[in-house]
Amino acid sequence: MKLRVARSREGGEITHYDLYKIETKKGMTVLDALFQIQDKMDPSLSFRYSCRGAVCGSCSMLINKEPRLACRTQLSEVQKEDMKLKIFPTLSDIPQGWNPEQEILIEPLPNMPILKDLVVDMSRFYDALVSMELWVDSIEGDEYHLQSIEERKKIERYVNCILCAICYGSCPVNAINQEYIGPAALAKAFRFSEDSRVTNSSRYIEAAKSAKGAPLCDLIMNCVKSCPKGVGPGGAIRQIKSR
Amino acid sequence: MRWLKITLHEHDVLVVGSGLAGLRVAIQLAKDFDVAILTKVHPLRSHSVAAQGGINASLGTGDSWEQHAFDTVKGSDYLADQDVVEILAKEAPRAIIENERWGTAFSRTEDGKIAQRPFGGAMFPRTCYAADRTGHNLLHTTFEQALRVGVKFYNEWFVTSLVRDGDHVCGLTAFDISTGDVHSFAGKAVVIATGGFGRVYSHSTNAVINTGDGCALAFRIGAPLKDMEFIQFHPTTLFGSSILMSEGARGEGGYLVNALGERFMDKYAPEKMELAPRDIVARAIKTEINEGRGIDDQYIHLDLRHLGKDKILERLPGIREISIYFAGVDPIDEPIPIRPGQHYSMGGIHCDKNGMTPIEGLYAVGEAACMSVHGANRLGGNSLLETLVFGRIVGQRIAEYLPNAQRPSSTCVEDEAFKIRHKLQEWLLKDKGENPSEIREVMGETMDRLVGVFRKESDLKAALTMIRELKERFKNVFAGHSDKRFNYSLIRILELENMLDLAESIAMGALMRRESRGAHWRLDYPERDDENFLKHSLFTKVEDYVKTEIIPVNLGMFDVKERTY
Repeated sequence: MKLRVARSREGGEITHYDLYKIETKKGMTVLDALFQIQDKMDPSLSFRYSCRGAVCGSCSMLINKEPRLACRTQLSEVQKEDMKLKIFPTLSDIPQGWNPEQEILIEPLPNMPILKDLVVDMSRFYDALVSMELWVDSIEGDEYHLQSIEERKKIERYVNCILCAICYGSCPVNAINQEYIGPAALAKAFRFSEDSRVTNSSRYIEAAKSAKGAPLCDLIMNCVKSCPKGVGPGGAIRQIKSR
Repeated sequence: MRWLKITLHEHDVLVVGSGLAGLRVAIQLAKDFDVAILTKVHPLRSHSVAAQGGINASLGTGDSWEQHAFDTVKGSDYLADQDVVEILAKEAPRAIIENERWGTAFSRTEDGKIAQRPFGGAMFPRTCYAADRTGHNLLHTTFEQALRVGVKFYNEWFVTSLVRDGDHVCGLTAFDISTGDVHSFAGKAVVIATGGFGRVYSHSTNAVINTGDGCALAFRIGAPLKDMEFIQFHPTTLFGSSILMSEGARGEGGYLVNALGERFMDKYAPEKMELAPRDIVARAIKTEINEGRGIDDQYIHLDLRHLGKDKILERLPGIREISIYFAGVDPIDEPIPIRPGQHYSMGGIHCDKNGMTPIEGLYAVGEAACMSVHGANRLGGNSLLETLVFGRIVGQRIAEYLPNAQRPSSTCVEDEAFKIRHKLQEWLLKDKGENPSEIREVMGETMDRLVGVFRKESDLKAALTMIRELKERFKNVFAGHSDKRFNYSLIRILELENMLDLAESIAMGALMRRESRGAHWRLDYPERDDENFLKHSLFTKVEDYVKTEIIPVNLGMFDVKERTY
C-alpha cells in the first residue's frame, strides 16, 4: 500500500506530493500510516493528532478526496468509501500521477489556509464560537435543572459534535465564501436554542441568522454526508432558516 | 536573524494544560486576575474529551458523601489521603450541579433527574453520565465557559521548562509550534495541569499526547513526584488499538467471558463480579489469559449482547462506534475482544489538598497531581470529578496567594529561554544520531512487559537498567530535519525526554515497594504490608540522581482494613 501525501513546507498551497510505501498491518488506520511515515521515513511530515479514537477531532483531512478523521479510517476500507458529495474544485482537482488503484491520496482539509503539509489554520472555524457566543449564559444556582429524556433527545445529536471541522471542509459554500460561519457553529447555535434548560434561546437563533450565517447556506448537505458523528448540521440549518 | 530576540510575556497565572483541570482553574481566576493557559493542542483535543463512563457524586436518595468517601478510600487500598478524599466526596454534588448549569447534557431518568449508573467498587449507583461520552460533554461545556469568561489561550504552544528563582517559581519557557520560536513567560504562579503519562507504556488507552510533560518539568526544577509506581491498568481496552471500552459497559450489565465461555469473575470477586475495582478485574483477566483461557491466548470477551440493541444504542453508543470502526465488531451481535492496558497515573506531582507543591507558586491539579485522592487504585468516575472539584479549589487557593506573591523578574525567564533555544537548535542542527521513535518503542515495550499488571524484582531491575540505557542513548538523539514550523519530530523528542524521566521513577518506585497494594502487584511480595508500606513514596531529583523517601498517609476517618469485594 502506498500513500501519496500533499506537502507544503511554507504553507499557502500544496507544492508537491510525496509517495510513501507503507508496511501494512491488520486493522491499520490512515493515522497509523502517517505515524509510520513520520517515525520511519520522513520526520518532516506535519499533521495534527491526539486521541486516535475518533473523539478529539484533531486529525480531519482529505482522504481520497473525501474529508475524514484519519484515525477512524482503515487503510483497507478507503477504496470502498463513497460519500457522494457535491463536488467543488478542491474535491475534483486530481493531482498528476495519482493512481487510485494503488495509492491513497492524503491532502489537507479543504476550505482553510494551509499552514504546513496537512496542518490547516482553523482560526475562522474556532472564532465563530466566540463571535456567536456559543455558550450558556449561566446563572449561578444551588440546584441542577430537570430535563426529560425526550427534551435531552432533541439536543443529543448536536451535543455529539466534536468540532472536527469536517463539515466546514466539505461545504461548497465555505469553499467560495470565507465569511460563511459554516455548518458546525450553526448546529451548535441550534443545540443551545433547542435546549429546554436555556431561557434566552432566541439569541442563538438570531446569531445563526446573521448575514454570515444560515442565509448563506444553500442546503447542499455535504455536511450531513461527511459528518463522522451523525450530527447532521444541515438539518439544524434548515430549521434555523424556517424560523 | 530572528533567532536573536526572545519575546517576553507576563501574566499573573500561567496554566499549563487545557483539559478539564486546567480550564477549571482558569475559570476560577479569570474574573480577577490575568490568567493564561498554554497548551500543546487546541483545548478541545485534550484527553479529558476521551473519558467515557462518568463522574461520581452522591446525589441519590440513600447515598451520602461519607459512603462515597469510604468507597474511594477502600478502592485506594487505604493509600489515599483521607482528608483529600473527604473534600472530593463532599464537593462532588456541587461540581455536577455547576457543570449541568453550564449546559452539560447529562443523561436523565424518567423523572428528569441526572441518571446514575453503578461503577466498579462503588456500593451505590453514583456515576453520573452523558451516555458514554461524559468527558466529551464536560470538556466542551467547560471550554465554552472558559471562552465566556475570557481566559487567554496560547494554543499549540509547547512548554519546554519551568523556571525557579530560589524557593519560588518565576515562570516558564515555551515554543510556539506554528513558528518554532522560543518565548519566555513570567508569572507569579504556575499551574501544572498536563494530565497523565500513559504513553510511557505501549499499550495505553491514553491519547498520543499524554506524555506527562508537566510532571517531568516540575521534577526537573526539584518538585518531588509521588506514588509513581501506582499505574492503573484498565481491564477492558480494545484488543489491537488499546482504545478504552468504558467501565460503563459493565456498569450497564456487560459480562466478561473467557475462551471456555465462562463468566470467570466469580473466582476473583464473588460478590461484585464484573464490578469489582479495576485493579482486581485487570488481574483476573490477565490471570485467565496467562493460564491459557484467553482467546488465541491474547484476549478475552466483553459480552454486551444480552443487554439488547436498545440499551446499547441508548447508553453505550460510543462503545459501539469504536468497536465497529476499530475492531470490525458490532457489540449488538458479537462480543468485543478486550485485554487490560495502561489507563491512569495515580501518581504525579506531590502536592497538598490545595494543589501546593513544596516550591512556592507552583501548583498541580488533575491527573498530573498526586494529592493523593486515589491512593493505590482509582475508582472509575473519580478522575473527571477530581479535575472539577480541585480545579476550583486550586483556583481559590491561588487567588489568596497572588496578592502577596513576589513579582517575578523577567531576566530570570529570559536567560532560561536562551538556554532552551540553544538546546533545541542543537537537536535541529545535528545530522545524525539516535532515532527517537526507536527509543520510544523500546521504552513502551519494556514498561508493558516488565512493569505491568504483575511485577517482580528481576523484571523491575531489568526494566530500570533498560530505561537508564535508553536515557544514555537519548543524549545522542536527533530530530532528522531542521524545519522550525510545526516540527512534530521535535515535539516528540521533547515528550520522550519527559517520559524517560517518568519511566525511571515508576520502575524505581515499583522496585522499592516490596508489597502488593492496589494496582501495584508484586508476585514476589503478594501481601499488603501496612507496617512498612502504608506510606507514600517520593522521588526528588537532586543534581544527577533521584532521591527516594517515604512519607506518611493521612488517615483518620476510616480504619485500615482488609480489602475484599
